[in-house]
Amino acid sequence: MIVCVAVVGHQNNPLYIQSFTDADDALKLHHIVHCSLDVVDERVNNPKKSGPTLNETFLGLLYPTENYKVYGYLTNTKVKFILVTTDLDVKDADVRNFFRRFHAGYVDAISNPFHEPGKKITSKTFAEKVSTIVKSFGFSSTG
Amino acid sequence: MKQSQSSEKKRERERERERMGREVSESCVDSLLTEMVSMYCNRLYANKPELAASRIDAIGYQVGHQLSERYTMERPRFTDHLDAIKFICKDFWSELFKKQIDNLKTNHRGTFVLQDNRFRWLSRMSLDPSAENGDVSQENSEASAENKAAQVPNMHLHFSCGVIKGALHNLGIACAVSADTSHLPACSFVVRIKP
Repeated sequence: MIVCVAVVGHQNNPLYIQSFTDADDALKLHHIVHCSLDVVDERVNNPKKSGPTLNETFLGLLYPTENYKVYGYLTNTKVKFILVTTDLDVKDADVRNFFRRFHAGYVDAISNPFHEPGKKITSKTFAEKVSTIVKSFGFSSTG
Repeated sequence: MKQSQSSEKKRERERERERMGREVSESCVDSLLTEMVSMYCNRLYANKPELAASRIDAIGYQVGHQLSERYTMERPRFTDHLDAIKFICKDFWSELFKKQIDNLKTNHRGTFVLQDNRFRWLSRMSLDPSAENGDVSQENSEASAENKAAQVPNMHLHFSCGVIKGALHNLGIACAVSADTSHLPACSFVVRIKP
């Protein structure tokens, strides 16, 4: 289950962050997202480690914690997408598919002429789309 | 079982929608562009051409900014400036104008010249008819008419310059873009990357 998704701008400014748990752990999830930004920077600035996958938008598993797995995605325009999930056996293809659809939703949201670049995304349509994608996550392989 | 089937169908429909692009009629864009330029030049900022130019440029900037996000969606990140410029010349231009830039020159020090031999947004533009009518005081009127004829496409080009600038800015490249139309309908854009 996905517990949190976030969009972070090119200056590491939060553009959109949404958690999907009933429990009161939003702060903890925000902290995890915040920590993952350093890992993203490290991946991008030390291309040796990432080897052949250099410059791909999908950054893969950023770091595992006890209860969560954190995945990252960096667009050409230096916008980061972070995904926190509690599933411990996630298929890479599922995550790629998730990010691809998420990116499409993000592009639609910022193409709104009333959206100001660099400001938080407040679009309700975007929020709905995200929750749809989040709900359907993991079904493509099992359902 | 039923539920999973219906959700599968729903997903299929969504995928379908994602594949389908929404298209805009070319003549609509042409008319919109012409109308926008005349609105800013003749009505809003009739006496301040510089201000009109910067406003038109800003509109183009926003368009380029948003389009570059969309068109770079499924590709790896760029390694250097040349990569990004090549993207503008090939993919970005193909998406906008159904053709690629015809010629790209660079001095390898941050200046790029992008030449389009038949720029779509100018190809249907005619020059000011007063340039052909002629007058008694030929020299003077010809010079001013030529001047005016040169000014009109330049106003239109502020929009295209803005589009290129916005796209490159969004890809993390700060630059200044200017355009030259000495040989209509050919058009060249000069991109100067700020160090």
